[in-house]
Amino acid sequence: MDNKMIELKRQYSEIPVPEGLDIIVEEAYRKHIHKKMLRIRWISATAAIVTLFISALNISPSFANASSKWPVIGPLAKVLTIREYKVNESSYKAHIQVPAISDLGDKSLENQLNDKYSVESKRLYTEFMVEVEDLKKNGGGEAGVESGYVVKTDTDRLLCVGRYVVNTVGSSSTTFKYDTVDKENHVLITLSSLFKDEQYIEIISNNIKEQMIARMKQNKNLFFWVSGNGQQESDMNFKSIEKDQNFYINHDNKLVISFDKYAVAPGSMGIIEFVIPTEVLADIQGDQEYLK
Amino acid sequence: MFASPSSKEVLQCILQHKDNAYRLAYTYVRNPDDARDIFQEATHKALAASKSLKDVSHVKSWFYRIVINTALDFLRKRKNSVPYDEVTLETYGLSTHDAYRDFDLEHAINLLPPLYRSVVVLRYFEDMKIEEIAHVLNENVNTIKTRLYEALRKLRLFMNDENLKGGWQWITR
Repeated sequence: MDNKMIELKRQYSEIPVPEGLDIIVEEAYRKHIHKKMLRIRWISATAAIVTLFISALNISPSFANASSKWPVIGPLAKVLTIREYKVNESSYKAHIQVPAISDLGDKSLENQLNDKYSVESKRLYTEFMVEVEDLKKNGGGEAGVESGYVVKTDTDRLLCVGRYVVNTVGSSSTTFKYDTVDKENHVLITLSSLFKDEQYIEIISNNIKEQMIARMKQNKNLFFWVSGNGQQESDMNFKSIEKDQNFYINHDNKLVISFDKYAVAPGSMGIIEFVIPTEVLADIQGDQEYLK
Repeated sequence: MFASPSSKEVLQCILQHKDNAYRLAYTYVRNPDDARDIFQEATHKALAASKSLKDVSHVKSWFYRIVINTALDFLRKRKNSVPYDEVTLETYGLSTHDAYRDFDLEHAINLLPPLYRSVVVLRYFEDMKIEEIAHVLNENVNTIKTRLYEALRKLRLFMNDENLKGGWQWITR
């Protein structure tokens, strides 16, 4: 058996490795840095067939009101698609919908959010075009991105918009970003603003760990990178949420903590959310008491 | 958001272990093109997720985990005409009929479903400790030991059976 195993190992070590793996790695690293630097390059118009729709919504609120297919939000505020970036080639596809909030009752907050949406969508589109250009230079490939938004919550008091980005080629990855707005007081709610002090970080983290272990016990196919439940201790395991962890408040006025792919579990589990019971937060909630 | 310090560590690690990461991928997909694609995708994922790497001393097992998960995702997608769940996939193995060469390793690997394949490859070919393997596969140590034992039992049957020498085709039939 041992000799056989040594023989197998020899064969394993002789699996021929193709040339150019380091080029793959360096290329990936270059792209990674490139994305991080958010460098904007102008793309020649011939690089892709691009259609840019700037709808009448931008300039005509009455048209927006009349158009029933747009989701109408709350008594006043609305979330509309004001712009779309589309690339539609056989192996390069992008569809980016840019949301805008209107009639929020506070122009500066509205502009702050809408500017952010517009800038980030533009950046996503530019990055995509850079990637496409790179691929074309290197003999082709596939690329795809889809981005849009969902209205997670819309109550008399709260509006929560979640924006997503999905890479549609290769293993699909999805990231979500949320903005939660208090429509009555016209403020953007941050996670820390929900609580009196920073105890929330530890309280929420502990609750999430308990939920992870409970979910794993309930369903043997689930994995979270967390200590306990007989799992290997590891520094990779989930320790704590970030101070400004991604979150939203759902229709039942409960706090929902959201993690992107790979943050707390294997990628196959995708985006992961935890609803934090308001009881565990009761003692530390701030004056506004958004959570019920 | 600039490149985090950990992305440099990740880059170092990938460069250092690139050959073995490729071989690891190869043991799942068993053809050079797919193995190369998986290596590439895993590299992208690792760099993109490098921020989530809390302790650089675990970078190797973390990267291997990404390679294995990418390979399993790939196999799952390739199988997606039949809706296999993870357990079915990993328990019964795969029936991809690539061109077989007269190659002991390939047959040994074919004999093992991916779940068992990983432990054998990591333990005997990559010389990892049980604890490290548990870390790569996100399982506890006892599960790994059980799997290793099962895997060896399957392999032993295959290695000791004189009747099978030189006549592998009828097990892989």
